[in-house]
Amino acid sequence: MSTMTINGRAAPLPDDPDALLIDVVRGDLDLTGSKLVCGAGVCGACTVLVDGAPVVSCLMPASAAANKAVTTVEGIGGGALHPMQKAFMAYDALQCGFCTPGFVVEAAAFCDRWRAAKGTATPSREEIAAALSGHLCRCGAYDGIFNAVAAACAGQFDGRDIQPPRVEARDKVTGAAKYTVDIRHDGQLEGVILRSPVAHGRIDGLDLSPALALPGVSAAVTLLGDDRMVRFVGDPIAAVAARDRKTALAAIAAIKFTIEKMPSVIGLDAARKEDAPVVFDKASRKRAGNVSEGAGGPAPWKGNLRGPSAAFSTRAKKARGWVGDARQARDPLLVEGTFRTATQQHSCLEPHAAVARFDGDRLTVHVSTQAVFHLKELIVKRYKLGHDKVRVIANHVGGGFGSKSSFGMETVVAIELARAAKAPVRVVYDRHEELSVAGYRPAAEMQIALLPSPEGALKAISFTAYADTGAATNSILAGLARLIYPAEAKELSDFDVISNLPPGAPFRGPGGPPMAFALEQAIDEAAIRMKVDPIGLRKRWDPNPNRQRLYDWALGLDVWRNRNAGAQSGRYRRGVGVATGYWLYIWQPGSKIEVAVKNGRLIASTSTQDIGQGSRTVIANTVAQEFGLEPHEVEVRIGDSDLPEGPGAGGSRTTASVIPPTLLAVQKLKDAIRENVKRQPAPGSNAPWRELLAASPDLSASGVRPEDSKPTLPGIRSPMRDAGFIGIIFGWMMRRFSNLAIGAGVPSSVQVVEVEVDTWLGHVRVVSVHTGIAVGKIAAPALARSQAAGSVIQGIGYALYEARETDPARGDILSGGMEDYRIPGIADTPEIDVHFDEGGFDHVMGGSVGIGEVATVPTSPAIANAIYNAIGVRPMEAPIRPDRLIAALKGRDAA
Amino acid sequence: MSMATATAEFRAAGTDLSERRRSGVSRGPLVDIAARPELTDIEWGAGGAARIGAFVTIAALASNERIAAAYPGLAASALGLATPQVRHLATLGGNLAQRSRCWYFRNPHIDCLKKSGADCPARDGNHLYGVAFDLGPCVAPHPSTMAAALLAYDARVATDQRSALTIGELLGDGSDGSADHALRPGEMIRSIALPPPQQSERALYKRAISRTHAEWPLAEVCARAVVKDGAFQFIRLAAGGIAPRPLRLAASEAALQGKPADAATIAEAAKLATSGAKPLPMTGYKLDLLSGLVKDLVERLAS
Repeated sequence: MSTMTINGRAAPLPDDPDALLIDVVRGDLDLTGSKLVCGAGVCGACTVLVDGAPVVSCLMPASAAANKAVTTVEGIGGGALHPMQKAFMAYDALQCGFCTPGFVVEAAAFCDRWRAAKGTATPSREEIAAALSGHLCRCGAYDGIFNAVAAACAGQFDGRDIQPPRVEARDKVTGAAKYTVDIRHDGQLEGVILRSPVAHGRIDGLDLSPALALPGVSAAVTLLGDDRMVRFVGDPIAAVAARDRKTALAAIAAIKFTIEKMPSVIGLDAARKEDAPVVFDKASRKRAGNVSEGAGGPAPWKGNLRGPSAAFSTRAKKARGWVGDARQARDPLLVEGTFRTATQQHSCLEPHAAVARFDGDRLTVHVSTQAVFHLKELIVKRYKLGHDKVRVIANHVGGGFGSKSSFGMETVVAIELARAAKAPVRVVYDRHEELSVAGYRPAAEMQIALLPSPEGALKAISFTAYADTGAATNSILAGLARLIYPAEAKELSDFDVISNLPPGAPFRGPGGPPMAFALEQAIDEAAIRMKVDPIGLRKRWDPNPNRQRLYDWALGLDVWRNRNAGAQSGRYRRGVGVATGYWLYIWQPGSKIEVAVKNGRLIASTSTQDIGQGSRTVIANTVAQEFGLEPHEVEVRIGDSDLPEGPGAGGSRTTASVIPPTLLAVQKLKDAIRENVKRQPAPGSNAPWRELLAASPDLSASGVRPEDSKPTLPGIRSPMRDAGFIGIIFGWMMRRFSNLAIGAGVPSSVQVVEVEVDTWLGHVRVVSVHTGIAVGKIAAPALARSQAAGSVIQGIGYALYEARETDPARGDILSGGMEDYRIPGIADTPEIDVHFDEGGFDHVMGGSVGIGEVATVPTSPAIANAIYNAIGVRPMEAPIRPDRLIAALKGRDAA
Repeated sequence: MSMATATAEFRAAGTDLSERRRSGVSRGPLVDIAARPELTDIEWGAGGAARIGAFVTIAALASNERIAAAYPGLAASALGLATPQVRHLATLGGNLAQRSRCWYFRNPHIDCLKKSGADCPARDGNHLYGVAFDLGPCVAPHPSTMAAALLAYDARVATDQRSALTIGELLGDGSDGSADHALRPGEMIRSIALPPPQQSERALYKRAISRTHAEWPLAEVCARAVVKDGAFQFIRLAAGGIAPRPLRLAASEAALQGKPADAATIAEAAKLATSGAKPLPMTGYKLDLLSGLVKDLVERLAS
C-alpha cells in the first residue's frame, strides 16, 4: 500500500485504481474543505497543492499522489492564517463560500510564488485573472477576489489579523464551514436516484429486488407517481441507498423495468405546434412544477399552452388597436421586435443535497435549502409528523439563487431511504443532475410593440411572452411590464409552453431579466428613433421617485456623457448602454427573532439561513449597532428550524423580514436589561451597553415582523395598488397563499455598461459597469457591494455566455457539465462601480429592503444596448455569443 | 503485451480519462503508464531541434524558456489550453491521445460512433460546437490544441512501435468516426520531435472563445511566418476546433507564400482559410471565426 503526506501527516492511499485524490481527501480523510463540484477540472473547487503546485484533485488518480506532499485548504498557512486568507476576509472576496477553499489554495500558492519572484509588487488584473482562470464562482465574488489577491501579494496582510465584514468569513476561508454535502453521520448511506432515460413514457414492471439483492444495498424506494409516467429525461423512477456511491450506482443499474415510450415534444417551437403530443392531460396538470416565487392564479390551458395570463393588462384592446393602426400607418416611432432569451441554469456550486437521519420518531434533515423553517413545515405536512419531531438544518448553503426554495426531490429521497434503511442517508446530486433536473430560468420568446405618442409620451405597450417552462407552469414575464413605464394602454400576455423537459424553477427575479431584455431594448430603440437621450426618455416615462434619483446619477456619469454617438468602423468597437430594472419589495409576515443576553454575550436567533447573501451579517450588524458594539461581539444563530420562525431566502425578502423584528426585540431586551441591572454604567462611558451587558443576568426578548408604517414620501406607493384592482387581488393572494407581503416602494436599479466588441471574432468584452441601486439603507455595506457586483456578473453570464443546450428530439440535456454550461470566470469581470441611493424606504423599520434580485435585472439589456451603440445592430437573442454576434453583423439569421 | 493491455485504456495523468471513468463512459480495463525519466525530458539536438518526451507536462512546455524562444507557437498553444491546474498535470502525449469532448460522447446514456453506436447523434441533433469541415461520419472536432500546434511545426511522433508519424498519421484523416487517433491497440506515444525552427521566424497562437479564458476553442489557429524584405518567405497555418483532425490551411498558406506582407494579401488569405469547408447547419459561424483568426495572427506576424 502506498502513502502520501497530507498537511504534514502520512496517509494511506487506496488500491482502487479508479479512486481519485478528491475521494480520498474528502471521504477517507474527512478533509471537507476541498469541494467536489464539476468533476471535470473546470471549476477548481477541489484544488489542492501537490508538491506545492495547484492541481485539480477531481481528475488526479489517488495513486498518482504516492510519495508526494499534498496540502489542502486545511493546511494552508500552516496553523496560522495565510495573508491571502486574511485578504479574502477583508475584501469580502466570497459569498456562499463553496468555491472559496479552492480559490484560497490557488491564490495563496500564487502569492507565495509572486512574493518569491517579485517582492511586494502588485500584480495586474490580467496576471491575477490568468492565475485564477481555473476557478469559477457562481455568486460572482470576483471583484473582491481581484482586490484581495492584489493586496495580499503587495504585502498588505502579512501581519495583522482582521475582523471580516462577513461574520462567518473565517470559517469559509479556512474550509471549516460545513455544508450539507460535508455532513457525515456514523453508518451513513449514500442515496442515488434512477432517472428516466426517455422524455416521455410509462414505466411498467418496476422491480427493485435485483438492486436490494446486491451486497451493500440497504434500501430501495419507488418514486413514480400513481400514473407511472415519466415526462422528461431525468424524471425520477426509483432510488437506492447503499454503503457507498459506487455500490448505489451498480444497484440502480440492476433495477428492472420496461418503458412504454410515448411521443415527446421538446422546447418552445415544437410544443406550440398544433399536433404536438400533450405533456399533461387534464387529470395530471397538478403535477406540473412552479417557476415563480408565489402561487399562481388561474389561466386557460390548452394542449401544451397555458395562457394567456393577462390580468395585468390595462385597456388591452385599446393597446392592440393602437399598435395595429400604427403598424398599418407605418408609424416610424412604433418599435416592434421579437426577442429571445436562453434557459439559464442556477448552477449552484453546492449541488442540491440532503442528509436525513431518524432517531426514533425524530427526524433531522440537513438540507442545502433556502428555507429551513418552511421546509420543516412541508416535511411535517407530507409525512404527518409532529412539529416538534422534525428539524431542518442548513448551517451554510453553497448557493441557491431560487433553486433551493421548494421541497426538492433530494430531500424526499433522503428521508424515504433513511426511513426504509433505518440508517442515515445522504443524497447529493451530481453535476449533470444539478445542470439538468434541479431547475432553471425558462427560455423565452417575447414579442413586444412599444408605441410612443406624437407628443413624446408613452401611449401603448403590447407584450406577449412565451416561456419554455418544461414540466412546469406559472411564468410571469410580460405581466411584470405593468409595474414600470405607465402608459395609456398595455396588453400584457404570458404563456407557459409546456414540453418534455425538466421543470423550471424560480431564479433570481423570476421573469425580470428576460422581460427587461425585451422591454429595455425597446425603450432604447424608441429613444433612438425619437432622437432623445435614452436616460432622458426613461426619466420622462418612468415617474418612480427611486429611479428618478438613479437617472440623475446616471446622467452625470462620465462614461455616459462621453459615449459614442456615430457609426464606427474597424475591428474593435466600443459602446455604452443603459437599462433599468425593478423588483418587488417583499417581506415575510410572522418572521420572528429572539435576541438574548447570556453570560454577558448577545445572541440573536431565527430560523432563516445564509445562502451567501449575508443574512448572518445583516442581523449581527443590526444588533451590534443598536448596542454600540462590533458585529463579531454578537453571536447569530440561524440555519436551524428549531429556532424562532424566520424567513426564507427568496424574493429578496430576508433583510426586510429580519431587521424590523430585530429592532423590536432589541428594544424590549434593552428595557429588560435596564430593569434588571443593579449597577448603572459609569457616567460618560463610551460603551455603556458593554458594561450593562456584562452586568446583566441572562435575559431574552422576541420581536415579530410588524406591518410597515404608512409611506409619507411623495410617490412612494404600493405597486400593487398602482396596478389597480388586479394588483390588490394579486397582493392579497401572495399574502394569503405564499405568506409574502408586497410592501410599498419599489427596489430599483439603473445600470450603465461599456462594452468592446471584437467584430472579427464575435467577442464581447464588458469593460465597465456602473450599477446604481435603490434599496433603502444599506445594512451591511461590504456584503451589499458583493451582492451588487455578483448580480452584475451573473447578468453578464445571462447576456453573453449561458445557455442550456438540449437534444431537440431526445430531450437530453447536453450542457450537463460545466465546460458546456458556461458561467462567467474572473477574467470576464469588468470594473464595477456600485452606487447606493439609500432613500425611499423610510416607512420600513430600519429603512432597508433586499437587493438580491433587483441588482441583476437590468444587466443583460444594458449590455445589449451597449452592443447596439457599438455596432449598430440590435442583439435580438441572448446569450449574445460569438455565433450570434457574427450572424448579427452579417445580417443573417443565426444558426 | 497481455490481452488486457491490448484492450485497456492507457492512463497518463488522467485529466481526460478520470472524468470518463467517473461518468461511466469508460468502464474497461485501465493501465497506468509510468513516466520514465527519458520521457519527461526535452532534448535538444543538432540545429536546435527539440525532442519532447511524451510525459512532459503542458505547464512545463508553456514555461520552458528555450521552447518559448525556439517554438513560440507551441508554448503559446500550451499556455492557451485548459486551466493552470490541469496544465500542471496533463502530459503532451495524453493531450494528443485524448478523447473527444462531444457532449453526446461524454453522456453515458447516449450511444454514438465512438461508443460502438451505429450513427452520430450530433449530426441530426445539436452540433453547435461541431465541425465546420465535415470530413467524416463523426461531427465532433478533434480536441487537441497541441496537435494543431505540432502540425504547424511539422512534428513527428515516435511511439513504442513506430518511429516518425506525422500528426496526420497519428490522428488519421477523420474517416474513422469511432476513433480520435490512429494508434494501434496498446501502442504508446513516447516522444515528439520538432525540426529546427526557421531562421528569424515568428509564431503566434489564438483561440476564439466566448469568454476570456478556459474554454474549449470554437476555432483556433497556430501560425508561423518568416517575413523578410516585406514578403512572406515562410508560412505555416494550422487550425483546430473545426474538423475531426487539425487542418493545415493550405489555400491560405499558398496565398501568402512569397507574397508581399500587405493588407490585401492578408485579407485574401483570410478569406481562403475556409476553402474546402463543409459547415453543418449550426456551425457556419466557425468559418467567420477561422477567417478572423487568420487575419488577426497573420497581420500581427507581418507587423
